[in-house]
Amino acid sequence: MFWLLSAPRPLDASVLPRHTADVANGERLYNAGGCHSCHKPSPGLKDVDAGLPAGGYPLKTPIGTLYPPNLTPDPETGLGRWSGIQFVNAVQRGISPDGRHYIPAFPYTSYAAMRVEDVLDIKAYLATLPPVKSPSRKPGLPLAFIVRRGIGLWKLIGLDTAAWQPDPAQSESWNRGSYLVNGPGHCAECHTPRNLFMVRDNARAFAGGPHPDGSGDKVPSQRDLIGRGRYKDVKDLATALQFGEVFGYKNISASGMGQVQANISKLPEADIAAIAEYLASLK
Amino acid sequence: MLSGKLLIIAIAGALVLGLGASLAHAGPDDSIMARQTFMKARAKALGPLVAIMKGEAPYDAAVVEASLDTINAAWDTAKTADPFAPDSAKGDKVETWAKPEVWSDPEGFKAASEADAKAMAALAASTDEASFKAAFTALGNACGGCHEKFRRPKEQ
Repeated sequence: MFWLLSAPRPLDASVLPRHTADVANGERLYNAGGCHSCHKPSPGLKDVDAGLPAGGYPLKTPIGTLYPPNLTPDPETGLGRWSGIQFVNAVQRGISPDGRHYIPAFPYTSYAAMRVEDVLDIKAYLATLPPVKSPSRKPGLPLAFIVRRGIGLWKLIGLDTAAWQPDPAQSESWNRGSYLVNGPGHCAECHTPRNLFMVRDNARAFAGGPHPDGSGDKVPSQRDLIGRGRYKDVKDLATALQFGEVFGYKNISASGMGQVQANISKLPEADIAAIAEYLASLK
Repeated sequence: MLSGKLLIIAIAGALVLGLGASLAHAGPDDSIMARQTFMKARAKALGPLVAIMKGEAPYDAAVVEASLDTINAAWDTAKTADPFAPDSAKGDKVETWAKPEVWSDPEGFKAASEADAKAMAALAASTDEASFKAAFTALGNACGGCHEKFRRPKEQ
């Protein structure tokens, strides 16, 4: 029963739309998704551009240390030989090409809401990067095999595969912000608390949660940021997201959010304004 | 604030011991207050530069220079109280948001401090609005580069 329920449920290649890849859009969503922050190069890789997602940098989590893999197009150790559907299944269903479950520190639970075209564009962008040889490293997890299989069970309740839906009552910019925050941006992974089953508690969406590094620190609430006086207005919040603490804002370039803010600063201003508009509307 | 009297005692003590002013420090709270006072002074001094960045004030090289002078002076004051003394990971009475990594990863902390010094030097070397804006944006990355790893989030 466990074996049956915990089996990976990958998407079939027939679900992929006909799509001409847009590399610039892929780069934008790569930044919105913060891919580099976890997939940055291992400190052991010499002469590798630190800006490349060559993988292997230790990621400390409450369950153990993970080594997010190489996203550069190296055929042996990276994504060079991956097909479109393999990439989509990894990013949106948390399933590796050899049919294993990824540990959900990889936020496929948010990426599942993305447009498939956007995911394919990210793949096309990654393919333009210089390939780096950076072999995968096994996570520092006891019982990794059974943990991985158990993730299959968890996915039955923890992985919502519904695509993101616009709210026609809201502005185009608000909807863009909602998509970026809830899909690629995966803000809720840390800013929404989880229930007993480690599933995001949507009744308390964006109300803040424990820090993902397990230190006991708190991730702040994103609710009512303007009403609580954290920011003056939507424009002020957008400026904070774009420039961070050097502009005198507090707690936006620190303790994990620093990488997020640095990634957001690479987005076009219209996207940053859209994210601010959406976040400011969270009550 | 570190009182003037304490400061004098601290400096005198260091001179007597021949340790140099950077080791002079009366207790963890003095170190914590010295670094916090410096960070506040720095944020305040950067205010006029933020106004230029936002387009609320015209670019003015003299304003940039004055701001950097204020920051350098504030740092000179902070330095006398050994702002990151090894025993100042926790204060006696004052709260700190510095993470233990400041002391457990001295190489990482040194690299982040050097990145900051380099970004400040680039800002000082800027000669026009374009180079100022580029240097200021880079300084922002240096702030994040240190706070990301070495400062805890504050409750809010």
